Amino acid sequence: MNTSTSNKIHLTILLLIVVVFILFGLDLFLGSVKIPFKSICSILIGETAEKESWKIIIFQSRLPKAIAAILCGSALSVCGLQMQTLFRNPLAGPYILGISSGAGLGVAIFIMGLSFLGISASAITLSANSGIIIASILGSFGVLAILLSVISRLKDIMTVLILGIMIGSVITAIIGIIQYFSHDAQLKSFIMWTMGNLSSVTNDQLTLLGPIVVTGLILSFIASKSLNAYLLGEAYAKSLGVNIKQSRILIIIITSILTGSITAYCGPIGFIGIVIPHLARMISNSSDHRVLTPLSILLGINVLLIADIISQLPGLDQNLPINSITSLIGIPFIIWIILKNKKIANLN
Amino acid sequence: MSQELNISSLTVGYENKPTLKNISVLSDKNMMIGVFGRNGQGKSTLLKTLSGLLPPISGQFNFNGIDILNVSEKERAKLLSIVSNTQSSIGAIKVRDFVAFGRFPYTNWLGINKVKDYQEIDKAIELCKLESFTNRNYDELSDGEKQKVNIARAIAQNTPLIILDEPTVHLDLINKVEVFKLLRELVKNHNKTIIISTHQMEYALQICDQIWLINEGKVESLSPSEIIDQGKLTELFDDELISFDKASQSFRLK
Repeated sequence: MNTSTSNKIHLTILLLIVVVFILFGLDLFLGSVKIPFKSICSILIGETAEKESWKIIIFQSRLPKAIAAILCGSALSVCGLQMQTLFRNPLAGPYILGISSGAGLGVAIFIMGLSFLGISASAITLSANSGIIIASILGSFGVLAILLSVISRLKDIMTVLILGIMIGSVITAIIGIIQYFSHDAQLKSFIMWTMGNLSSVTNDQLTLLGPIVVTGLILSFIASKSLNAYLLGEAYAKSLGVNIKQSRILIIIITSILTGSITAYCGPIGFIGIVIPHLARMISNSSDHRVLTPLSILLGINVLLIADIISQLPGLDQNLPINSITSLIGIPFIIWIILKNKKIANLN
Repeated sequence: MSQELNISSLTVGYENKPTLKNISVLSDKNMMIGVFGRNGQGKSTLLKTLSGLLPPISGQFNFNGIDILNVSEKERAKLLSIVSNTQSSIGAIKVRDFVAFGRFPYTNWLGINKVKDYQEIDKAIELCKLESFTNRNYDELSDGEKQKVNIARAIAQNTPLIILDEPTVHLDLINKVEVFKLLRELVKNHNKTIIISTHQMEYALQICDQIWLINEGKVESLSPSEIIDQGKLTELFDDELISFDKASQSFRLK
């Protein structure tokens, strides 16, 4: 990389960081209840608020939601980037490959299935936060392991996508059966979960989610050297000294932890994982993961903050499910990628 | 002959279905070795095994006194580099950055190049005469240019041994000759040992020092003149439509 392009990328990253702060501020500011910007600032730095209810809205609702949006956007984008490289597939992402569904199955078993084993819901509430996250990570890990075990036999990228969709359908069927046999209260809490809502993330959950996501992001940056070698294909990567087995397992663990933990608390959120890495490639005109990883993180944060701002626009009494908004933003973009890139099937 | 390159009782193949059994071949360093054989006889399987991409069923491949099949990927990456006929990549990689991938085994965890790395990259670019398009995207290049960039990447990897699996298969005549000339230069002036499989036997006979002939599950090591004098190529295409003419050193239609 020569200096002028690297300067341009540094500038872009700086600009995106500024935009993150602006959008973060807007996300706190805009909402169904109008709170003056000045009051928000004084609430944030710990001064007394004019109205006690404003303080509650900021600390119990808007701030955790905005932080959840940041964690979610960064984690899902990086997962998508790693999967696109690992599967050598421009349309790969945690949602479309059925990995979010795997996480969903883990959660379904945790929320609804445990009562079959005679464990009552009240007994698991204490450990619910960590239990749901572990169940979800295990679920996504399972799907990724299945995908990777067959991928060496499937050379065609479209077959892998179809397989991912099929795994997703099987999981939906299994979840349907679990739902059929479960009690009303558990069913309701599971349905609420599937709607993918950032506002349901509590402060307690954030203290668990935050460190997990940050660790995952640091690990993904460390993995960027081997991910770069994957660009040349597995044979060349191996000839350059990459331990394929080890690096694959590392990447799978990172993506299942990131997708699993985010999906556990925010529900399945689609299409961010596919779209953001492409946006990062277009902006940087580079395939270097040392550039794409930080760029995807920042772009992911910004897009999710925008989606969150849309979901709580003033005038709406209720928050819209963020899942619907990311789909509405994401799907046209994916169709555009497919139309623009006619060679998409030849990329293997 | 010091015989620094030797394959001993090597059996190669997939999942216990051996393609070539009990191969034993002796060769030397700083040579250009051509691998001949008809399609499906196991050329690629042999080269993949020698490159460490496919685990051997049994046997050894010693180069410079090191059993190449028994070292870690990291160590092997400093001993041998590969060039194949498949050119794949996703996204935008500049030619210079593509060549820089050759420095991968020598860089730190983040892949930062040092002065020495840049020198090796420049040297490889100069040897392969890529100076005019270092800033172009790899995906936009012609097949011939891509293959030269691939070879430059292997040169930047700075390994004593380079293994090429049918590198000229998609190239036109001029590009083929250029690649062969470049490889010849690497052996002559840069102390490389090259193992190359090819169907371009007429050229290979002119520039290789030794030929490994794969026929009916056996591998023989012969000099180009032995191949010609003993009529080995006519034997290879037995009962077929062509024969090898010794006088003109080329194939003739029967």
